[in-house]
Amino acid sequence: MKQLFIFTMVMLAFSGCRKEDNEMVDGPNLNDLFGPFSIVEDLVISHTEIDFGVDAFVFYSGELSKNTDWNIHFTGSQTGATRTISGFDRVLSIDNAAWNGGANTFPGFGLEEVYIEVHFPNEEDAPVLYDTVSVLGLKQDEGYLITSFENGTGTNWVPFNQTTVVGGIVCGNGESAKGDCHYSFGGTVGWDWAIGSISVQNDEGTFGLPTSATNLYFNMGFKALENVGPTNSFIQFWFDEDENGDGVFDPASEDRFLYEYWSNGSEWDLISFVYGGLQFDAEGSQVDTNGNGLPEPSKLIAINVFYLANPENGFSSALVDHLIFTTNSPYTP
Amino acid sequence: MIRKILLIALVFVSFQMEGQQKKFQFNGAARGYYFANELDIDEAIDTLTTRKANYGHTLVDLGISLYPDKNTEIIAMFRIRNDLGGFWGGGTSFNVRQLSLKGVAGGVVRYELGDIDIKMTPYTLFNTQEEGIVNEADVFALRRKIVHYDMFYNDENMWRMQGAQVGFGLEFARGIKAIDIQGFFTRQRPTDGIAVPERVYGGGSLKIHQSKHLSVGLNSVNIFDLKETIPDSIQFKNSVHTADLSYMMSLTSAMQIGVKGEAGMSSSEYINYQDTRAPDELTDWFYDAALVLGVKPIGIEVVVGFKDVGADFRSPGSQTKRINYAKFPAVYQQFTNDAIGRPMSYADVISGNTENSFRISEELMSYNAAYNNTTPYGLATPNRRGVYLEATRNDSSLFRRTFVQIAALTQSRGTGTMEKMNFILAEAGTDLYLNDLVGWKKEIKLGLGLRYENSSRSGEEYETANLNSTLFDLGLSVEFVKGMDLMLGAKLWNVHGNAFVNERDRYNTIENFDIIELDMVENTYAGGLRYRFNEKNSLSAQYQLFEIKHGDDQLADYGMSQFTFLLSLSF
Repeated sequence: MKQLFIFTMVMLAFSGCRKEDNEMVDGPNLNDLFGPFSIVEDLVISHTEIDFGVDAFVFYSGELSKNTDWNIHFTGSQTGATRTISGFDRVLSIDNAAWNGGANTFPGFGLEEVYIEVHFPNEEDAPVLYDTVSVLGLKQDEGYLITSFENGTGTNWVPFNQTTVVGGIVCGNGESAKGDCHYSFGGTVGWDWAIGSISVQNDEGTFGLPTSATNLYFNMGFKALENVGPTNSFIQFWFDEDENGDGVFDPASEDRFLYEYWSNGSEWDLISFVYGGLQFDAEGSQVDTNGNGLPEPSKLIAINVFYLANPENGFSSALVDHLIFTTNSPYTP
Repeated sequence: MIRKILLIALVFVSFQMEGQQKKFQFNGAARGYYFANELDIDEAIDTLTTRKANYGHTLVDLGISLYPDKNTEIIAMFRIRNDLGGFWGGGTSFNVRQLSLKGVAGGVVRYELGDIDIKMTPYTLFNTQEEGIVNEADVFALRRKIVHYDMFYNDENMWRMQGAQVGFGLEFARGIKAIDIQGFFTRQRPTDGIAVPERVYGGGSLKIHQSKHLSVGLNSVNIFDLKETIPDSIQFKNSVHTADLSYMMSLTSAMQIGVKGEAGMSSSEYINYQDTRAPDELTDWFYDAALVLGVKPIGIEVVVGFKDVGADFRSPGSQTKRINYAKFPAVYQQFTNDAIGRPMSYADVISGNTENSFRISEELMSYNAAYNNTTPYGLATPNRRGVYLEATRNDSSLFRRTFVQIAALTQSRGTGTMEKMNFILAEAGTDLYLNDLVGWKKEIKLGLGLRYENSSRSGEEYETANLNSTLFDLGLSVEFVKGMDLMLGAKLWNVHGNAFVNERDRYNTIENFDIIELDMVENTYAGGLRYRFNEKNSLSAQYQLFEIKHGDDQLADYGMSQFTFLLSLSF
């Protein structure tokens, strides 16, 4: 019986050596997949009025019964600007449900009432939550703003319009991509692709951009209204660099880099590209310029926004707005 | 004097016969197998499927064993198969079924090359028997044996592989009685030269028999992809290292007691996989330890054990299933007017209309929770721990081969929730020889088998599970004329409840759960006659009736009848 006792003790010792994993779970959470949905702690918005220049974010806080997909839609009451924030979390907070005042794309938000809807798309019986926030101050753009056409034309700007074209800054009609004003072209030019252009120059010297072109993005809003389509109208940018620093661009001896963007719809498009990329064409070959051939943003002295459209299609119309350089990433409206 | 001369002559002739070295030997098997199936399904839900499906074949496995010398054997077996209905060579196939060379080098080292059968321990390399067999009736076993023969599955749970194995034993005068060493190396998969690397599998064991009471062993199996067999550098590796022990001693002259068990660890690596789902490394361990009590006079052995197999324990050699339940059966693959895939039934398993594994799989294969939810991957099923009891009694006057097995297991790691699944599995069976009861010489064997399984999980409503599965495995064999048997059998499944079946990706990570609500009765009845020419050869005709009924109206109720004729010969 002694041996039996020893064996039993050995077995009991083994049985005590058991794995207990109470920290890990294999597979997706069953509560998230099949658990009932409810709002455990009310979803509360942090502000009813917000000046994004002072407070960086509006955010929701609250808790759901499970991790599930949720979408928060922000819609500007006047601009029609939209922004959607999505997540798959049980707890909503400033970390995952915060809005910085930006839009998904142009147009951006203005000083207006913003309507908010919170949806839970995968929960059949979930409510839709509604809120409103008043924007008292706009988001501060990060980057080098060239113009948003809010302050009229500069002293050195050079506009060009065909004789049958009306081109200029328009304010207050609610059509702007950002702020209250934009630049508009409209007219019928049956004899030429060129509709009009606006050459933007600083009052004095260059735009004060950094020297590195490789991580510098140029951005602009473009909205083709008439004569729209990838074979019908486009914007051509001329980037003129004052390489010798004399304050004047000489097309015979200095770099003018070109970039074209064809329209593809009648909504606001955000044009973004790396300034350093202007050195090469689509095939990767060095473009022909009359200067040193290197994009040097610190020497940029003029940006000409040139609107061209197919003369055979009659009336052509387009809007441009918010010329801005950003570093490291494209502009977010 | 004459008697002395005759005796001397007889001894001389005997020596002459022994001295002649046998150079070759023929062996093999042959069979004729015919199936006539008929689908029974309500016309209201299926007017499209052809109701009858008949097919069959004859085949010969012709084996030749050559003996170049007394220590070497060359085995070649060819299969000639002719599907019925294909005359003059149509439907005929000719294959090499087995080619192996084996022998003993230097009178010490056993070696085998080519097609080899290998088994190690239940946690390293072990071809686990398919589910649904408790105490199977002869009428089912007769046909299952054909499937096993074709797939090289045998009673010793070996895997047929291609490669080489060597082994040798050492005997000692004192201290240690003997040491057995075995090693093997096999090719599991050739490369396609593009995306599938060549895979090899190797391992070995060292068994030390200290005495007739104590044995210990070290076991190791390793599977890995060979580098530079494809342009990409992906490589899968899995290693399982275990140690096993067996110690038995006599308490009394009639009673023995001892311990046995195995413990070890596994490691799986997915090297240079671009797929972000691939885990870098997965390691875990297991143990299985049992107390053994034997009572010789009444032929009883009782085993009580504990086991804990980690959730990340991966041992492809022992976790590969024989049947791939993700595939549709070979007959009536689609049915109903919606042409839905027909799920695998147990009647398909018996008939061999399933896709069976012929090589080990690194993926944990699909399983049917109705048939086995507790140990779908055999003893090495990961994420199971708990106690078990096994009791067997080999012989008694009336009952023979009586056994009871009970296991109460639980998960060590929750799946989808912190709540753990609990499993209770009970199996019992016996063969009752009624002829002994009435004193007849001819056998009347009543086979009884019962399997009960409950899987449950408590918790919130969305995570609760409770699945009950019962199988009655019954059979009757009556030898009513010498060599002629009447065989009857039934497999009666009764399954109710719900289960969460793991849906795993190719890296065995659970990516979703399939909630199944089961309320079904699946019954298979069979009857037949068998004439045994001798122990190896028989002729049988059987009729099998199968039906499945669901409580859920969305699932199709149907049945199948099957007549089979089987002539099975071995020589």
